[in-house]
Amino acid sequence: MAGRSFALVVAAAALAAAQAVAAQSELAAPRIAQPGPILDPGAAFWKTAKEVAVPMLAQTAVPPLHPKPAVKELRVRAVHNGQWLAFRLQWNDPTRDDTMLTDRFGDQVAVQLPIELKKDAMPSPMMGNPGGRVNILQWRAAFQRDLAEGEPEVRKLYPYAQVDVYPDQVLRATDARPYTGALGLDNPVSRPRASPVLDQMAEGWGTMTVKTEQEADGRGEWANGVWTVVITLPLATGTPNTPRLSPGASTIAAFAVWDGGSGEVGSRKAWSSWLPLRLAK
Amino acid sequence: MAKVYNWQIGREMDYPYEAARPRRQFAMVMDLNKCIACQTCTVACKTTWTAGRGQEYMYWNNVESKPYGFYPLGWDVRILERLGVQTMDGPVYRGKTLFDAAPEGERVLGYLPDDLDYAHPNIGEDDSAGDLAQGAFLQMPHMQWMYYLPRICNHCTYPACLGACPRQSVYKRPEDGIVLVDQQRCRGYRECVRGCPYKKTYFNPMTRVSEKCIGCYPAVENGRQTQCTVTCIGKIRLQGFVSVPDRLREDNPIDYIVHIARVARPLYPQFGLEPNVYYIPPVHVPPAYLAQMFGWDVERAIANYRRAREDKRLLGALLLFGATPEIIHHYRVEGNYTIGYDENNAEIVRVPLREPIFLRPAYDERHRSWRTNMT
Repeated sequence: MAGRSFALVVAAAALAAAQAVAAQSELAAPRIAQPGPILDPGAAFWKTAKEVAVPMLAQTAVPPLHPKPAVKELRVRAVHNGQWLAFRLQWNDPTRDDTMLTDRFGDQVAVQLPIELKKDAMPSPMMGNPGGRVNILQWRAAFQRDLAEGEPEVRKLYPYAQVDVYPDQVLRATDARPYTGALGLDNPVSRPRASPVLDQMAEGWGTMTVKTEQEADGRGEWANGVWTVVITLPLATGTPNTPRLSPGASTIAAFAVWDGGSGEVGSRKAWSSWLPLRLAK
Repeated sequence: MAKVYNWQIGREMDYPYEAARPRRQFAMVMDLNKCIACQTCTVACKTTWTAGRGQEYMYWNNVESKPYGFYPLGWDVRILERLGVQTMDGPVYRGKTLFDAAPEGERVLGYLPDDLDYAHPNIGEDDSAGDLAQGAFLQMPHMQWMYYLPRICNHCTYPACLGACPRQSVYKRPEDGIVLVDQQRCRGYRECVRGCPYKKTYFNPMTRVSEKCIGCYPAVENGRQTQCTVTCIGKIRLQGFVSVPDRLREDNPIDYIVHIARVARPLYPQFGLEPNVYYIPPVHVPPAYLAQMFGWDVERAIANYRRAREDKRLLGALLLFGATPEIIHHYRVEGNYTIGYDENNAEIVRVPLREPIFLRPAYDERHRSWRTNMT
């Protein structure tokens, strides 16, 4: 069992390794002409951005640890159009996992940005730290599936399911609501709102919170054993807990990826160090 | 890991959080000698709490046959196998708990069941431990045996589900010790499903978060016993609160049964969670099997239970099972009656220790028929 001191030592070692990696690569986001949210994973403008191969690290800082993550490398490009910044994330994944059952997990990928970048006190790349709040934009394959094919149904998950009656078939909606659990409480992980991306903030492990204002968007496509996912966010917004960026600005970005087919979820993931990110003027 | 004291294993043990015992602890006693697996409790629980979408195969309360019944499939033998052979032969358990045995980088030793493991809630129903030889006759303990094991969440003092959750979405209420999953905070990682050795947290594929037995907290908050308790037609259950041994109250029927008469034992105490459902072991089952399931003191529990008629206070406590829907906080045996009181010492139930006997002639003159004593 990893004691607290052990975990901290490991965390420090991982952090040192991460910073060493970070110095080697930089994400440069060229400016593109197309206006509005940047959502198309197959658009030609992605060729104008340099691809950076981001090594993904084992999660060896906080239990449950994940010493052997499935995804070793994320291929990342970034572009912006003056109003929106977007990342295109690609990784090899032989299986498309977008259905969730007790023993089945969904594929996910996330981009992390500091909400406020202080050069002398960078937030921890591992979901920030108290006082070092980060914005985490997480795309979920299950949400993408929901948006394409509609809400999950029991008969789709279990084709031979036989149920006499559900409360919502015999009660008024307000009376049936207590039988709907997290759905009735609008838990943001139950269903996608309008986008497959959750716009969230965190100040360290276990503090992930879905923001009230959902501004990010995205789209993911799986083909021939490769996921290609675009995550986009507006550059300048009036809402709190959002990084304020503009053409010409520099910041840092980090990534995390989960392979559902390998049972990855929560802290059982692959994560990256901070990478410098520069937006073209 | 913090050091906490677990009275069921008689020693300090490691746990991910500091000890914080609730002001009082939800508890239940179930008399396994009386359960007939009618599943009325299961149905009562299901219609009350888990009738919704995504809960089709989710049973917060279930009744399984032992030794070959499991829900989910193989839940106890699978974790016992992972824990390995341990010795529990006295009040101080020197073997490993599930927290001691946690693999590197994990908080607790556990496993995630397959989805299909939940597909057979009645597997092994009524299956006996073996075949009877020609010419066999009834002996005690029975040479071939089975019994019914009703199960709910144990609302453990040191819950593994709570310890395993990386974002503290599982919490234990300070007012009654009921363990709950925050349905707004949970993100469906299933660490609790993996961590709970009793497999009493479940993943809901429609809401995509985990759910568990809520100890009927809206009833308990209003002084009423849980649905599975009040609907039990065999009156095998008593729900109330249990104290730690050095703070026991002799007039609390659960404290008397667990700590003084010592006829009820926790389920797999060696796991180290200090579970708060206590079982009166079935008297016809070989003690070797029962000792694995209920710990070292099981033979004394059976012996004391068999002498219940000699201990009026034990008899009084046992007769309060199923006697009232209200939670009994105190009780008193007075003459031929056991009397249950609520939290404010108001009488809520009065049960005779011995029912009156009426002798009637075998022939009924008025109806001109023979009475039989078939029941």
